[in-house]
Amino acid sequence: MDGKVGMKKMIPWLPAVLGMVLVAAGFLPHRPASGVDLTPFADLPVLQGGRVKPLDTVARAALLMIHGKQKIRRGNKEILAVHWLLDAFARPELSDRDKIFLIHDPDLLGMMGKTQESGKDYSFTDLAPFFYEIEEQNNRALAIEAPRRTRFQSAVVNLSERITLYQRLKNTLQIEGADDFPSELRSYEAALGPGLMAVQAHMKSVKFDRRALDILQHFFSRYRFLAEAGYFKNLPPSSGDHPEAWSNTGEGLVALLGAEGLHPGIADYAQMLWAWRYDRFGEFNRALGRWRAWMETRHAGSLRRSSHEAWFNRVRPFYNGMILYLGVFLLIMGSWLIQPQVLRQAAWRLLVVACAVHTAGLLARIFLQGRPPVTNLYSSAVFIGWIAVVAGGILEKFYRNGLGSGVAAVIGFVTLLIAHHLAASQGDTMEMMRAVLDSNFWLSTHVVAITIGYGLMYLAGALAHVYIFREIFSFSFNEQARQTLTRMTYGVVGLSLFFSFVGTVLGGIWADQSWGRFWGWDPKENGALLIVLWNALTLHARWGGFIRERGLMLMAVGGNIVTSWSWFGVNMLGIGLHSYGFMDKAFWWLTGFMISQAAVIVVGGIRRRRRPV
Amino acid sequence: MMNPKWRRWAILRVLTSLELTIACLATMIVLVFLCTLAQVHLGIFEAVKLYIRSFFVYWPVFGSTIKIPIMPGGALVGLVLLVNLVCAQWARLELSWRKVGLWLVHLGLMLLFGGEFVSGMFQIETQMPIEEGQTTNYSESLTQFEMVLVDRSHPEYDDVISIPDARLQKRGVINDHTLPVTIVVKKYYLNSSVAIKHQPQTAEATMGVGVGMDIQEAPAITTDDRINEPSALVEIQKDGITVGVWWLSTALGAPQSVSIGTKSYQLALRQRRYYLPFSLTLKDFRHDVYPGTDIPKNFSSLVRLRDRKQGENRDVLIYMNHPLRYAGRAFFQASFGKEDTLSVLQVVENPGWLIPYIACVLVTLGLAAHFYLFWRHHWTARSA
Repeated sequence: MDGKVGMKKMIPWLPAVLGMVLVAAGFLPHRPASGVDLTPFADLPVLQGGRVKPLDTVARAALLMIHGKQKIRRGNKEILAVHWLLDAFARPELSDRDKIFLIHDPDLLGMMGKTQESGKDYSFTDLAPFFYEIEEQNNRALAIEAPRRTRFQSAVVNLSERITLYQRLKNTLQIEGADDFPSELRSYEAALGPGLMAVQAHMKSVKFDRRALDILQHFFSRYRFLAEAGYFKNLPPSSGDHPEAWSNTGEGLVALLGAEGLHPGIADYAQMLWAWRYDRFGEFNRALGRWRAWMETRHAGSLRRSSHEAWFNRVRPFYNGMILYLGVFLLIMGSWLIQPQVLRQAAWRLLVVACAVHTAGLLARIFLQGRPPVTNLYSSAVFIGWIAVVAGGILEKFYRNGLGSGVAAVIGFVTLLIAHHLAASQGDTMEMMRAVLDSNFWLSTHVVAITIGYGLMYLAGALAHVYIFREIFSFSFNEQARQTLTRMTYGVVGLSLFFSFVGTVLGGIWADQSWGRFWGWDPKENGALLIVLWNALTLHARWGGFIRERGLMLMAVGGNIVTSWSWFGVNMLGIGLHSYGFMDKAFWWLTGFMISQAAVIVVGGIRRRRRPV
Repeated sequence: MMNPKWRRWAILRVLTSLELTIACLATMIVLVFLCTLAQVHLGIFEAVKLYIRSFFVYWPVFGSTIKIPIMPGGALVGLVLLVNLVCAQWARLELSWRKVGLWLVHLGLMLLFGGEFVSGMFQIETQMPIEEGQTTNYSESLTQFEMVLVDRSHPEYDDVISIPDARLQKRGVINDHTLPVTIVVKKYYLNSSVAIKHQPQTAEATMGVGVGMDIQEAPAITTDDRINEPSALVEIQKDGITVGVWWLSTALGAPQSVSIGTKSYQLALRQRRYYLPFSLTLKDFRHDVYPGTDIPKNFSSLVRLRDRKQGENRDVLIYMNHPLRYAGRAFFQASFGKEDTLSVLQVVENPGWLIPYIACVLVTLGLAAHFYLFWRHHWTARSA
């Protein structure tokens, strides 16, 4: 008897505890296929895209852009991004055969004599015979402005960019195909003295050693190529006043040598790659330790920050949050069928865990970037979800009917899923802000207010779905439940009007401050205005009695369309001062979503005639 | 026979009605959406002119010059909404503390609409390209052009006679007693392409650099990042005798010269200039990028502001989000060129620039007050 009561008490806690275990699992060190812990290597800071970031971020972002995933499969083994990157550096003959290039476009496949049946995944080696053709088609496509390209042309440009990225990665730390780069470096150092003497003699027009000069020139041409091709900069300045003046291995090799000789990072990286190539893991760790010790003495701050970021990458709060939200939703669905009290309580507790993980991720990003929460489309998705979850949680706290948790879970799940896919097209999600956007004050006021408005619009829209579907399918939709839902939706719409309006006018003031135009009718501004107008229309129609409860709900579902247009649709126009970049794939999803919402409005509207309320 | 009294009431009823508000809001939603879509092909400026800054949206009938008004434009809807707001405010909304939020919101909205009308009517946006070391006392329009005759004989100042492009577009004879010559505009292209002639043909121009040029009409620019290059073919007459025919074009660069009797004038078609009662000298332009990329991190122009009348003579740093506001104009860092030695400042003159700020404060306070009162009321009702 006692045991049963204990079980009953435990069940509402069980999902929350499981959720915490899932999150905690991310903190455990990962044992990769090689048996070597690559964490210390993944932490190493490099400069890419204007900021210092860990190699782990470079590896994940590059693999996301090339492959669309943060891991690859090799045989039946799972290979982490940083492991793959290390192979691309040191054992390109291995990574060249990884089927990482995903090709969807049937015309592009056709150009290479493949059909969709022959598969969509190709390795670098598979594509090699077609490089000439791809290059030529790419040059043709580049002559056309991006928004006017055909699907085939976009696909060619995209594939070509991915191949280039892979090639550049391979030629960043050493020249691709170098069997023994450390000993090449030693010969280079040996050749430098006589070579430079020959150069000086040549300049003074006295007799010089032709052979020494030729050798030096041979090395120089190799390293100039490396300097050009390098995708990121791995060598921080050894001293001096310019902490931002990083260089890559090629640049370090061709830089005129000072008293210190070659940058120690060149040899340490070369040694790491050589050791990795020949499975000398002890040697790998020694070289890595040497380099980390050097960084520790001169750039301890960079090393610390980049290891924090790599840790954040491994913990994956948003991915875990997504799974937990799905769990919450399933529990709420279950609560409608069996054990409403127990499962609702369980869902609420799991929602708290999920929201805590989501919040922690958001705070970690703010801390890592030193920026307000929303800086790009990716982070807007994360933040919209967070706002809707928090607001849904507050509703749940007040009404205790499971609806707040349910809609919070759905929006949290979907927005994090969108963020996950955006990360795949964007690569690095913490890229630097362009000059005009570089203002923490406006980012934290205008952008945050607008985004809160979006989040609340989706919350109202989701509540309206519940109303419409309960009316259609459920017999237990009594007057009280109906009124509660209406009050919830109405309040959220009003709050959303407030934030959208404030956000929109703050945007106007920012625009007035930065280019002297309070309102420029730019697509993004128009999108924000549409939300304000739509909410004003909804509220006035309700006040005037032109729409009743169901009308309010249908308008709230319409709000989903308007918000999606403003958030994503206007970016697809490819014009305007605020552009996040063009997304082709998202277009179909957006269209599908809008059509589905229109269908919900129609379905909800039809019901009205049959059974007037 | 209609009863005038009844009719007056009906109009008042319509003007104060919530139906009208809703109709206006709905029309505005449609207009804003259509305007956004039209920007893809027309560019922002033309799309806004078509849908927002117009009283009616016209639909041109194919193959004719007839235009049919198909829906009200933004200006009309805005005006009706403003009238509706004012009327409804007095006629319906009670003056009580419970409604204080709505009063503030509507007052703020009236100001916001008013401010947008003021901007639409009076705002002048121009640009000032300025090179390092250069001193400039004018800015140039991106959308308007002028033909000028400049008398440079005076050592202290230039005497500029300007003919706006709106007059040039009408073509024909321009004869005015203030003009030293008679000007006959034979052709005017809104946008044109200029190339050097390869084989000699019969030239339309008889004088100046245009004789050797092949000037063709080109479709007008609709994107926002490029501007039109208009060209005009003009004949200059003095006392009924032809002095010559010139091609003038913004694409031709340096002004051409014309001699009338003993006097020499410079002749040019250029972007319309707005002269300032003060001058700016660009001392330094800076443009930083993020390390290892070409993503701009910041731009800034250090200028010297000199105003003899006001006795101003000081350095000003203009950078992103930090314009110079002086003498009713605001100067913003807009662009740059010539390997970072040329800075382009956006110059905006808008007498109503402060209105939106006041309006926004009113509406925000109003919404906050209203929702606070609403929630308080709602909460007491629930707990009761």
